[in-house]
Amino acid sequence: MAEPERLHFVLSRLPNAELVVVSGVEQLGAALGFARDTLDEVKLAVLEACLNALEHGGSEVEVELVAHQGREPWMEVSVVDRGPGFDPGTVASPRLNDKLHAQRKRGWGLELMRRLMDRVEILSVPGRTQVRMVRGRRGV
Amino acid sequence: MDIFELRLALQDGSVAVLEVSGYINNEAGEAIATQARRLLDSGTRTLLFDLHATRIINSIGISLLLEVLEGVLAVDGTLAFCSLSPGIAKTFQIMGLAQYAKVFTDRETALAELSARS
Repeated sequence: MAEPERLHFVLSRLPNAELVVVSGVEQLGAALGFARDTLDEVKLAVLEACLNALEHGGSEVEVELVAHQGREPWMEVSVVDRGPGFDPGTVASPRLNDKLHAQRKRGWGLELMRRLMDRVEILSVPGRTQVRMVRGRRGV
Repeated sequence: MDIFELRLALQDGSVAVLEVSGYINNEAGEAIATQARRLLDSGTRTLLFDLHATRIINSIGISLLLEVLEGVLAVDGTLAFCSLSPGIAKTFQIMGLAQYAKVFTDRETALAELSARS
């Protein structure tokens, strides 16, 4: 089996830094034969992972995209930051009705990642948070 | 594709159509919210966002669209979207946005229904 193709990025807190990773998702997704709509969903999830990491995770964020070829191609995304960490179990699913009447209307990122990807794992300790996401070509 | 643009494509009575293209991030979301506030302040009651040239939005952009929705609901208006990419349609579906906003396949269909109601 062919070696997986990998792209590695180090993001800093520049405006729209996350778009660099989105370009990488497009490149690898095309190589894996992902449909455009599936790729869009992966891009949306990756955007959120990068934005969360950039916002809460300190100055530098490492992102790795891995394209796994084979009969059932799949893409793996890892986003690592060096921030204080968090307990993903304490993050409640957002409810639109509550958000509409709240001052802070944000907080959709984790929910979108979970719903747009096949699998999302979060390993977080103080000083290192890794979000690992997987999406197959067939889609959720 | 990712360069944001916002254009007031139509203002007819109390209905306005805003064409959005590119990446809806924080700055784009602010621009959309500002334009929406202006329109609502000047008496527009139905806002239709045509997103045919938009394929990515982030959660900050989403939160600013919720501000627009809050403003529209405050004046008993209607918020509508048309020509959504499947990814954005799925994002809106995950959020449950259809409870409060109308979603149409294309602008023609949207205007036919929205104009009839206004």
